[in-house]
Amino acid sequence: MINNIIEFLFFAFSLSAILSYIILALISAVETIDYMKKNSFVNYKEILSSSISPSISIIAPAYNETLNIVENVRSLLSNHYVNYDVIIVNDGSKDDSLEKLIKAYDLVKVDYLINSQIPTKPLREGVFKSTNPAFEKLIVVDKENGGKADALNTGLNISPNKYVACIDVDCLLLEEALQKMIKPFLETTDSKVIAAGGVIRIANSCVIKDGKLLDVNLPKSLIVRGQILEYLRAFLLGRMAWSKLNGLLVISGAFGIFDKKTAIEVGGYDTKTVGEDMEIIVRMRRHMEEQKVKYKVAYIPDPLCWTEAPDSYKIFISQRNRWTRGTIETLRKHRKIGFNRDYHTLGLISYPYWLIYERLAPVIEVTGLIYFLYLLLNHFIRWDYAIVFILLSYLFTVAFSVITIITEELTYHQYKKKGIGFQLLMTAFLEPIINHPFILYAAAKGNYDYYFNKKIKWGEMTRKGMSND
Amino acid sequence: MANIYQYCIDYFNDAPIIIQLSWVLSALFAVTLISLIFYLKFLRSTLRTKERIQNVYLKKYESDLIEYLYSGNEDEEMTKEQGIIVNYLHKCAQNRLKRKLIITTLLKLRNEVSGETADAIKRLYYQTGLIDYGTLKLRSKKWEIVARGIKELAQFDVTEVHYNVIAQINHPKKEVRREVQMYLVKLFHFKGLDFLDLLKSQLSEWDQIQLLEILQNFDDQNLPSTTKWLRSKNTSVVLFALKIAKIYNQYDAKDEIIKLLEHPDLNVRIDAIAVLGDLGVFEMVDLLKNNLNEKDIDEQIAFFKMMENMYTPSDVDFLFEYMNHENFDIKVSVNKIFKEMNIQDASKFQINTAPESPPSSTNLIQAS
Repeated sequence: MINNIIEFLFFAFSLSAILSYIILALISAVETIDYMKKNSFVNYKEILSSSISPSISIIAPAYNETLNIVENVRSLLSNHYVNYDVIIVNDGSKDDSLEKLIKAYDLVKVDYLINSQIPTKPLREGVFKSTNPAFEKLIVVDKENGGKADALNTGLNISPNKYVACIDVDCLLLEEALQKMIKPFLETTDSKVIAAGGVIRIANSCVIKDGKLLDVNLPKSLIVRGQILEYLRAFLLGRMAWSKLNGLLVISGAFGIFDKKTAIEVGGYDTKTVGEDMEIIVRMRRHMEEQKVKYKVAYIPDPLCWTEAPDSYKIFISQRNRWTRGTIETLRKHRKIGFNRDYHTLGLISYPYWLIYERLAPVIEVTGLIYFLYLLLNHFIRWDYAIVFILLSYLFTVAFSVITIITEELTYHQYKKKGIGFQLLMTAFLEPIINHPFILYAAAKGNYDYYFNKKIKWGEMTRKGMSND
Repeated sequence: MANIYQYCIDYFNDAPIIIQLSWVLSALFAVTLISLIFYLKFLRSTLRTKERIQNVYLKKYESDLIEYLYSGNEDEEMTKEQGIIVNYLHKCAQNRLKRKLIITTLLKLRNEVSGETADAIKRLYYQTGLIDYGTLKLRSKKWEIVARGIKELAQFDVTEVHYNVIAQINHPKKEVRREVQMYLVKLFHFKGLDFLDLLKSQLSEWDQIQLLEILQNFDDQNLPSTTKWLRSKNTSVVLFALKIAKIYNQYDAKDEIIKLLEHPDLNVRIDAIAVLGDLGVFEMVDLLKNNLNEKDIDEQIAFFKMMENMYTPSDVDFLFEYMNHENFDIKVSVNKIFKEMNIQDASKFQINTAPESPPSSTNLIQAS
């Protein structure tokens, strides 16, 4: 009897997960078509050159980035948008990042009146600006180490502008990124846009020169290829649908634009979580719901930001472990909104979805595997059942990935070279076997670390650098 | 073999319904997957071929266009060589893809040239019958085709159909409305702004920026009076009119703008303060000072921001009251003014926007 109930629950969970993916994919398809139609004749150049276009601060925290910091800053400074500045927050780096920046950009220390609306760690060397007019958009802040969230909060305090773009310093922003991302803030008249998220694409093996993406390639490493497919699935077939439902709970920490006033009103980034990018969005949404203000979190599906993905299983596991802990922390912290109709879509759809299919999914999967092992050891396995269920889930996963590849081809067609289609297809078949076990392991370890190993915070991400100069 | 087949059939028939369903679904997914793989292969190859063909045609049309432009002379309306090219392009224009490529080629060159050459390209747009396809788009049931049609007509300066275009001014899709607005302003300059009288929907900030950018391309001196728009019931029109008043220094509109200081919308009141400051309307300083504390904090910030350029020595006592205001922005503005005025108490503030000298400098840069 108990066995039957357990089996029924596993089956119901799997079926509902499959259905939810199909529904989200369908909504994404409709929304993507609509987005493509609406933006096929937009002239971004006019916004680009207009002196009355709103000012944006790009805030990029940096910690021990000496290898690529100068090139990365140069890339950020080469954006074509007219009204923006770049705030680099050197978060207590132990290397010579600051010295390199001072030398490369003729920086001098200035006394800077900071509006400390959000408490942060104190400044170390202080604030620097360039004596060279060519770099007048650059502000470098050197502060004591406080983590990424604390560095972003320093940027929020310093920014003089209405909008802030929070990005990872090693990300490559395409030239038209800012004007495309600022569009929802400027064109929405019936509600307040509090944040906009962009698509993150993986730049490993791509040709990048002088901060420009010249050639898109598919890396040889299977782990990176798997991540490419995973990102495409998440961004093209997932977030687009959540954007349509106005239920986006996360904007990638690698690139997102915020309404600064709202971000400060809610107290900025939470320094106590490792999932600060998700937490701030949930908190901003919660704040707007409680204020009963009509609002929106926008999403731009264009590939505007390219970043380096982990190419070793060790770093990959550490990254996913952190994502898991961040999700648990955020959902626990804001559990009040879950299944609460006062929070509308946020409380009744987004939160429950994240709880069941993101937070609990790995737990259910691991439990399922342990149960399978128990049945196996006791010779209770009904192989006719097991084989067909494994086959069904595998075929669905692969088919879903192939649909993602097709969507990419029909929309942005970034992987043009001959042969890449076949390689992506192979990845779709191998990914569930090769990458997924590591993702599951990382998620399980993330759960363990969250409850039993509180000391662990951020993992180290070793950068190889994307520039091919 | 027959035994295995029979075994499978028997197994399927004897299996519980859930297993039968799972096998059916698996078969369905397998067929779908195979179809998707073939489709992906077809799609990638089609996209590559299409791109190759497009590049070939683009090159061909570009050379045809250049030949057309260079084979004209002043004596004839159309030379023999031009006639051949027109006929060829006319024929090509019947195909949708080729039509799109011809238009792309024409626009690419038209954006790079001006004067007679630009006129010749426009003439070619008419001669090849492309204009007929362009105007036909206005009658489409699909909004994106209507919007694209209006954009195309604007790019080729086709004024003849403007009545048909204006008819779409309150189109339910904002993308169409936006194209109509840009068409009118691009082709009729300030006169085109008359659509503001008819506008029922909100003019977004994005729309406003685009329209102002187009207007700034013209040297037209016939600036319209913004008074009627400053009185508009449509708040977005009022905000847009304030921007025009600021950019074009419309001092004559000051009385109407002063009235906006009591407007129910906060953004209008804030922008009105800023514009009055830009126009240098000194009399409103005292007016605002009188009831400053009753105003919203954002209005107060706007007021002090404006004062940075409008203070007089007689304002010192008033400003001292706000020197240690709890609001950061107000405090910064006041101290900036004192710095400008060389008031001793504020001499420790050295506010600049960029360092003037290397390392020894201790400039205080404002963050507001």
